[in-house]
Amino acid sequence: MTITRRNVLLGATAAAALGPIAARAQTSEVKIGVIYPFSGASAQIGVDAQRAFETAAEIINGKYDYDLPLARTEGLPGLGGAKIKLVFADHQADPQKGRAETERLITQEKVAAVIGSYQSAVAVTASQICERYQIPYLSADNSSPSLHRRGLKYYFRAAPHDEMFSQAMFDFFDAMKKKGTKIETLALFHEDTIFGTDSSNAQLKLAQERGYKIVADIKYRANSPSLSAEVQQLKAANADVLMPSSYTTDGILLVKTMAELGYKPNAIVAQDAGFSEKALYDAVGDKLEGVISRGSFSLDLAAKRPMVGKINDMFKAKSGKDFNDYSSRQFMGLIVMADAINRAKSTDGEKIRDALAATDMPGDQTIMPWKRVKFDENGQNNDADPVLLQYVGGKFVTIFPTQAAVAEASWPMK
Amino acid sequence: MGLLYGLIAVGLALIFGLMDVVNFAHGEFLMIAMYATFFLFAFFALDPLLAAPLVAAALFIFGAVVYLLIVRFAVRAKANTGMVQIFSTFGLAVLMRGVAQYFFTPDYRSIPHSYLGGKTISIAGIYLPQPQLVGALIAIAAFAGLYFFIHRTDFGRALEATREDAGAVALVGIDKNKVFALGWGLGAALVGLAGAVMAIFFYVFPDVGASFATIAYVTVALGGFGSVFGAFAGGIVVGLVEAMTTLILPPSLKTVGIYGVYLLIVFIRPRGLFGSI
Amino acid sequence: MDKAFIQRRRRDLIVAACLALLATQVPRYVTDVYIQNMMIMTLMYAALSQSWNILSGYCGQISLGHALYFGLGAYVTAILYTKFGMLPWFGMCAGGLLSAVIAMALGYPCFRLGGHYFVIATIVIAEIALVLFQNWEWAGAALGITIPLSKQDSWLTLQFAKDKLPYFYFALALACVAWFVTWWLEDSKWGYWWRAVKDNPVAAESLGVVVFNSKMGAAAVSAFLVAVGGGFYAMYVTYIDPESVMGFQFSLLMALPAVLGGIGTLWGPMLGAVILIPLTELTRSYIGGSGRGVDLIVYGGLIIAISLARPQGLVSLFSRKRKPAAQPVREAVAS
Repeated sequence: MTITRRNVLLGATAAAALGPIAARAQTSEVKIGVIYPFSGASAQIGVDAQRAFETAAEIINGKYDYDLPLARTEGLPGLGGAKIKLVFADHQADPQKGRAETERLITQEKVAAVIGSYQSAVAVTASQICERYQIPYLSADNSSPSLHRRGLKYYFRAAPHDEMFSQAMFDFFDAMKKKGTKIETLALFHEDTIFGTDSSNAQLKLAQERGYKIVADIKYRANSPSLSAEVQQLKAANADVLMPSSYTTDGILLVKTMAELGYKPNAIVAQDAGFSEKALYDAVGDKLEGVISRGSFSLDLAAKRPMVGKINDMFKAKSGKDFNDYSSRQFMGLIVMADAINRAKSTDGEKIRDALAATDMPGDQTIMPWKRVKFDENGQNNDADPVLLQYVGGKFVTIFPTQAAVAEASWPMK
Repeated sequence: MGLLYGLIAVGLALIFGLMDVVNFAHGEFLMIAMYATFFLFAFFALDPLLAAPLVAAALFIFGAVVYLLIVRFAVRAKANTGMVQIFSTFGLAVLMRGVAQYFFTPDYRSIPHSYLGGKTISIAGIYLPQPQLVGALIAIAAFAGLYFFIHRTDFGRALEATREDAGAVALVGIDKNKVFALGWGLGAALVGLAGAVMAIFFYVFPDVGASFATIAYVTVALGGFGSVFGAFAGGIVVGLVEAMTTLILPPSLKTVGIYGVYLLIVFIRPRGLFGSI
Repeated sequence: MDKAFIQRRRRDLIVAACLALLATQVPRYVTDVYIQNMMIMTLMYAALSQSWNILSGYCGQISLGHALYFGLGAYVTAILYTKFGMLPWFGMCAGGLLSAVIAMALGYPCFRLGGHYFVIATIVIAEIALVLFQNWEWAGAALGITIPLSKQDSWLTLQFAKDKLPYFYFALALACVAWFVTWWLEDSKWGYWWRAVKDNPVAAESLGVVVFNSKMGAAAVSAFLVAVGGGFYAMYVTYIDPESVMGFQFSLLMALPAVLGGIGTLWGPMLGAVILIPLTELTRSYIGGSGRGVDLIVYGGLIIAISLARPQGLVSLFSRKRKPAAQPVREAVAS
């Protein structure tokens, strides 16, 4: 066998071409910025989010036999097995700081993408900065519908927004009415920041369209020292359904005040937030038997998809909590983003953006009850079906929509 | 509820009003007291009502230590005494929040079952939650005690005299630091009582103090500095105004009512309702 | 008029001019946008704190409600820009004037209040404004106002996509203006009255009416400058909501640099901002991600340490020989 000069050359070129890739596979990593509140009133959310993202990174970077994108391989095969590295930043719920920290993540830490942010107000500024630097921003858990309507090219949201959530609630009311349950009047109770305002606007609109009467629409100041006057008004209105949109702090106070003032509504259908937090149920769970909350996650999915239970165990080992509506969306946020980076085979912002836009992930490859992950032209995933969960005997069971339900709703609540 | 604001304000009335020292960490004192109550409950299953004296005692020591370590120097500052007080106690507030977050984590906690929690008495259709009722009684007792204390005991007189003229007092052989340290301890102990009662029906987390602090300042100022009775009256006014504004205005505006009444009162009476300084 | 005083004033002006010139050259060597952002924030806070210092330091009327004027400036600028298409330059002036008028209207009843009563009144007024804005649907309520991204950079609309330098120069100019106004006021009639009042309460009585008017003037100037700062913030951050521009925290943050640097002094607010703002940014960025509040512990501890160790502010470290620019506020709060 003769080794021609050409062969040698070819081999050399191949080695030269492969060299960097092989070298990169050993050392390289892809940085993803994660921006959450780590201090201040909602610091606990940030701390839990950190655990959720770490769990997702562990699954991506390690080898796990789950039917989840990137679980079975180590790192990102599209980038020669590069590992995901998370860079956390604290925005203290301040839009200005969120903006500055996002810019720092992009320019100093050289992150390939940014995920955030719990507070919708921060998502506004963070995603604008990302747009300017042409780096994709993915809302893991922001639910304000105004976010994806700003015409941003680099903004994505895999999870449902408040209008989709509220729609599910009203679909549920319609279904209950058909079965003969009396649901005519609603009482809205919402806090005065962006979350409560958006949520109540959506609910008001839907109630009008579908012929429900709003007998009380109470807006209160977030982190109020007392809610007794508000609860008196709710009690006087005595609607068929009470629909609170509250964060954890106000949620606890609301439930306690209701018990003190002897107000027991027929049913509570909550817009998540505080009503999916473990802290709230630790505090006042005994008074909430039968409360219904919207959500995008339910642990009873584990019966159908065993990996949900196993991943939940991983998260629980880190945080001492089960996945809830927030932590599950955060987890999926990183999976969706990593999947796109893997397909983009690059850390270039525009390529990742295009890969995100082309995402089509079947629902059963997620840990959510979603149909699929596929973004529309605004970057919103319209196939993320929300579910309604009822708190029964210390845990949540899915009661709506029917195809995901594992139990019948018990109405009125106990 | 008004009396509860009064209860939170009474400790502040002593520190802020009688000793003329600004304490911007008042809300954080309350936070520490609530945590103390919570942990006594969590580890020793001690009901908040029983824990109250213990918490008050602990806060007494804490308050005195804070005075000796920080406030003593702030009061002594040669220039800008007012600003130094505001900002050293503000720094303390930030520090305490950080420490609380470090040790207790930012999680929300609350006491699920206590002797009084969630019980109500109903009189002619008006519901009176028992924790608030007990809180109100404690508030009245605390005010009466403090009033008696300030006006009838040697220590109370020494306290007032020290504020008026520390130099002259020193001549009579009273140690200003000792008097003020005791005053701070006492003020903090009262906050401790308030915290124990609050913990029955409120949640605890590192930033909880912020919700109450501004209301407490307004309560004290509304009643007038230097007057224990004023703080008591201020608490009642705040409670009433809060209940009444919600009848005319949407609930999200209720603080506007409270603050508006404060402005109205001080514009008419620049020293608050019963203020002497 | 003593000669040393004139000399010192001339020297201050020269030093300031040199520093400003030097500052314009800094961006040549600092290209990192994160650091640039930090410098912009530092300059903005320096300007705000300097303006706050006019009313609260020199005049002795301690306001912890200046977030009101900051928020007004930000809102007027943002609303005029997004709803009426008016240039932010115009919006800043309008916001400034509105704030000045409101400051005088509020000053009229408030200046009669003494000590703590005044401080609490300022807190409460800002708080009321915050709640009203939070419920004002037309002004965006809690959703706030987003300034849409413009396609091209322009000085007219103060919109620059990635370039931070124009913002840097704007903030620098603002800080210079605030400094110069303070410098000028120090030597004006008002400046003399304020000093006289602080030195001698009896003089205050006899000067009563004039001093009252000068306080109103100080409130107006102070509010105007702070509102312009608010307008700048709105255009820079491109998003405002009531909590982030009118919160109580903001009033404190505005006062803090002046207090640490030296309240009622010409250089105090500048020095305070240069030390404090980078410190808060860096502690948050590099130790804040832990979620354990270590940054708060460091920050709080430092504030206590500085305010106790240097009650006259850090600026007193430099002025062993010369007299303080104005006599320190005579226990304004503890009256």
